[in-house]
Amino acid sequence: MLRMASSFPEEVLEHVFSFIYDDKDRNAISMVCKSWYEIERWCRRRIFVGNCYAVSPPMVIRRFPEVRSVELKGKPHFADFNLVPEGWGGYVYPWIAAMATAYPWLEEIRLKRMVVTDEALELIAKSFKNFKVLVLSSCEGFSTDGLAAIAANCRNLKELDLRESEVDDLSGHWLSHFPDSYTSLVSLNISCLGSEVSFSALERLVGRCPNLRTLRLNRAVPLDRLANILCRAPQLVELGTGTYSAELQPDVFSSLAGAFSGCKELRSLSGFWDAVPGYLPAIYPICPSLTSLNLSYATIQSTDLTKLVSQCQSLQRLWVLDYIEDIGLEALAAFCKDLRELRVFPSEPFAQEPNVSLTEQGLVSVSEGCPKLHSVLYFCRQMTNDALATIARNRPNMTRFRLCIIEPRAPDYITLQPLDDGFGAIVEHCKDLQRLSMAGLLTDRVFEHIGNHAKKLEMLSVAFAGDSDLGLHHVLSGCENLRKLEIRDCPFGDKALLVNAAKLETMRSLWMSSCSVSFGACKLLGQKIPRLNVEVMDERGPPGSRPESCPVEKLYIYRTVAGPRFDMPGFVWTMDEDSALRLS
Amino acid sequence: MGRRGSASSSSSLESSNYPALSSRSSLYQHNRDLSTDLRLGLSIATSSQGNPSTPSVSESDWPPIKPFLKETLAAEENECNSATFFVKVYMEGIPIGRKLDLLAHDGYHNLIRTLDHMFNTTIIWAEMDGEHSEQYHVLTYEDKEGDWLMVGDVPWEMFLSSVRRLKITRADI
Repeated sequence: MLRMASSFPEEVLEHVFSFIYDDKDRNAISMVCKSWYEIERWCRRRIFVGNCYAVSPPMVIRRFPEVRSVELKGKPHFADFNLVPEGWGGYVYPWIAAMATAYPWLEEIRLKRMVVTDEALELIAKSFKNFKVLVLSSCEGFSTDGLAAIAANCRNLKELDLRESEVDDLSGHWLSHFPDSYTSLVSLNISCLGSEVSFSALERLVGRCPNLRTLRLNRAVPLDRLANILCRAPQLVELGTGTYSAELQPDVFSSLAGAFSGCKELRSLSGFWDAVPGYLPAIYPICPSLTSLNLSYATIQSTDLTKLVSQCQSLQRLWVLDYIEDIGLEALAAFCKDLRELRVFPSEPFAQEPNVSLTEQGLVSVSEGCPKLHSVLYFCRQMTNDALATIARNRPNMTRFRLCIIEPRAPDYITLQPLDDGFGAIVEHCKDLQRLSMAGLLTDRVFEHIGNHAKKLEMLSVAFAGDSDLGLHHVLSGCENLRKLEIRDCPFGDKALLVNAAKLETMRSLWMSSCSVSFGACKLLGQKIPRLNVEVMDERGPPGSRPESCPVEKLYIYRTVAGPRFDMPGFVWTMDEDSALRLS
Repeated sequence: MGRRGSASSSSSLESSNYPALSSRSSLYQHNRDLSTDLRLGLSIATSSQGNPSTPSVSESDWPPIKPFLKETLAAEENECNSATFFVKVYMEGIPIGRKLDLLAHDGYHNLIRTLDHMFNTTIIWAEMDGEHSEQYHVLTYEDKEGDWLMVGDVPWEMFLSSVRRLKITRADI
């Protein structure tokens, strides 16, 4: 057998491997034998690094010399909710600098929760001659000057997507840096930018790029300019409007409606800031073919929302504010039989009392009416075990279930019991559940259910739950496929972590904040498990200045082959052999 | 949690007490025997009574919504609360008129109900048909071009953008 493998020409193997894209498959191929490892590493074109500190740029470059596409993720997920202080890390510059020399033919860079600077963007713009795709998701640290460099220099750019990034918006002038000869734009997402871009520059750009299929505008683009833009890009598949509000004028309305009708390929809509119900009928003609609708910024009420979704029979994804209410969700359940993903956000997240009639019933209706529903994010103010159990029985195909009850530790509002059994039903029935985020009053029992049943679970988010270390122990010892665990404000301490320390090397990362893990335990973990970085975050000052038994503020543990990092701010300490000696 | 030892090497945290730490193996242990694991006297930890802090909206960390959405909602709320649109309302035969905030109503039905109450009568508008008693009143409005029209023929939002003032006239004209 071995002889046969070695007599097979490399070129043939390489050709075969070129049809394999999935990382897991590629990793499997590379472990067959040394020669396959060698052949595979020279032809791997795409790299995904889920934690930028798990490996170093030189290590990646050494192993994979011919990469064309890189995806990196930086800060922990809880950074989205202000739990990671400013300056924590996630700097992309070292990666760009290393790749600038190693990968001159790099085409794609996708970053999530990383700190990107104008210097990094300028370096990208001048280092990669065939650069095509830049996606900056929830990134920060750069300004529109950096964007101008990209626009001016990347002749072959196809995709520029700034989704939800925090950009230092100096002016809208950067867009005019795309030269007149530039026509290759396929996807542009500037929805996060505040300032106005030149509308004529935008219209000309749109008009000269025949392959443009995705255009997500920012709020500053007024509604009366939208028709002109749409008329220049009738081939658009995905559109994000600017502000969707204007004085009702019949001529503006009819040009808008006409422009929408002309976009026969339009399948996804977003934007809708300040949406005014009077202009909604302009999109009615294309509603039946819409597959994705993001109304997260549209403060329109239930009646109009209901009328809208009732016409979207092909809808697969809906993101909407809780203005839709139970009644709108019932209509969704009745008319949108192809629905796969639903996200309902709170319109008044900081109000104590409900401002709309959105309850657990809305979610139950959708779970009953939409057989393909498998991904849910739902913010509400009340829940019952019965409702959760019904949802679980209705939708055993659920893969992502995230519930947030506005009030922490809220019990089943009818029985006043914890919601343990409800979530227990979810993990029991939904055997393919990959992601779970829990809410309400929860005891250690819910973690027992999770440990027993959630065998495919990869990511778990926990807040204000549990009674003791037993809870954490159930999860760490039972969830075989767990990769990411994030915990806040739970009474979990040292024991469960220390007993399950080996488990941590099989996961991407663990976040714990406002829990009861002591500094001593952190030191021990850091000392004993070399391939883990145990990072303690404490804005009160060095943890060594307090007793060892004192709990740390925040703890972030991740596996790595790159050793401790050296770009940490003053409030982050890595627990390793050396630091343990230094700090004790 | 670790209240026993205060010395730098508290006995409860010796790595030898935790098999997972003393071995160099990185193999995941399927150790589900809780009594063995936790025989070192795990005491029920006191639950963290922390509640989410509620500083300013932009700094808050609960509920878990992204900054972009948080900011958009905060801005919307400020706008909604301050928007008003008062118009004059006259009833035929009564020289002193009233003023009414149209934006405090979400549609025609709501508006008619308020006017019925304000003027103590039954108001006729475009959606009502059938025999009308002479004791009823008709609701009309003056639009931007100065014409008087019956209320209710156009969508509510379109009405809001063209109405100047309201007049309630007798039904027998």
